[in-house]
Amino acid sequence: MELRVTERTDDELSIEIAGEDHTFMNVLKGTLLEHEDVSAATYDVNPEQSGGQTEPILTIKTEDDVDPIDALEEAAGDVRDKAVSFREAFEAAA
Amino acid sequence: MSEEYDVEFVEREEREARFLVRGISPGFANGIRRAMVADVPTMAIDTVRFIENSSVMFDEQLALRLGLVPLTTPPEGEFGEDDTVTLSIDVEGPATAYSGDLVSEDDLVQPADENVPIIELKEDQRLEAEADAVLDRGKDHAKHQGGVAIGYRHLQRVEVVGDLPEFEEQESRIVRGVIEDDGELVPTSEFDHDLSNRYPGKEVEVEDVPNAFVFHVETDGSLDVEELVTRAADSIESRATELEEAVQL
Amino acid sequence: MSYKCSRCKRDVQLDEYGGVRCPYCGHRVLLKERSRDVKEVDVQ
Repeated sequence: MELRVTERTDDELSIEIAGEDHTFMNVLKGTLLEHEDVSAATYDVNPEQSGGQTEPILTIKTEDDVDPIDALEEAAGDVRDKAVSFREAFEAAA
Repeated sequence: MSEEYDVEFVEREEREARFLVRGISPGFANGIRRAMVADVPTMAIDTVRFIENSSVMFDEQLALRLGLVPLTTPPEGEFGEDDTVTLSIDVEGPATAYSGDLVSEDDLVQPADENVPIIELKEDQRLEAEADAVLDRGKDHAKHQGGVAIGYRHLQRVEVVGDLPEFEEQESRIVRGVIEDDGELVPTSEFDHDLSNRYPGKEVEVEDVPNAFVFHVETDGSLDVEELVTRAADSIESRATELEEAVQL
Repeated sequence: MSYKCSRCKRDVQLDEYGGVRCPYCGHRVLLKERSRDVKEVDVQ
């Protein structure tokens, strides 16, 4: 998973996450939006039909002086927790 | 923020199951579904060496058919992305070559079904070939897709709200999936998908239960249902872990 | 080059002088047999 920051301010971040598709990006975006200090989160797998750019770009906007990088890190942890607890719940039933 | 999921099986066989998950968001449900379809690696034949092919079909056509034969996938960690398993087939006509005629060098990797026809051979026709199977994902080729017919529906709660007026003809009310009736889970196939069969003379209300989805999972035999679902969850987990670590740097 | 006569089914060796003709029965239709090499094919 290659990461490349394309735009960055104090409360906004655009980051390219190479090798991922809707499967992971949509879950990640949904989880980011559950985050209290994230005011906007979106992703685009083919921005503006831009020539050849097909790696997804995730854009996060935060409020209350929260670093979007930290929000992303937390969201990644939350996705992992979701996957783990889903598997545990499934295994408990199986 | 730890999520609490609750899973309950409604129907269960080795290759096909229906299970209810409560507390799951539509987005995450879809992530799991997509991971089952495209991200769980399975074994499939990738290259074929034809020693003899006097059948009526081209080598390339037979190679595609061999590639589409579902093979059982070994437990996680047994095989890497680059490992191969060799299978061979040798059938002389008049006979039909079936997937069951494939002889594998590895007990863990076998045709999931014995009765997939590959080609009918007439007198004096012969197929002799050696094939290498590799591990890959459904995203790269449909032959590596372990999950077929995977989907989910909202759990639907049915409530009886009253009796139908005495002389009114009851109209049929079709629902598909699984309903929840007073806490009891009932597949709609039990009453022919028609609520008027289950509740004759009653007036009922149906509503989607928020964040409760009934998954229907069917595999091609390369994995059983449990393996497929847990590996799909694992694949999302490992990507999240990878992202978390990449962000920390 | 090795061929098979389509009439008498015998194996035929052609050289550059004889033209395309079966030396046994004179038939002019010859079939090219599949080579005995092992052919490797990728599943597309």
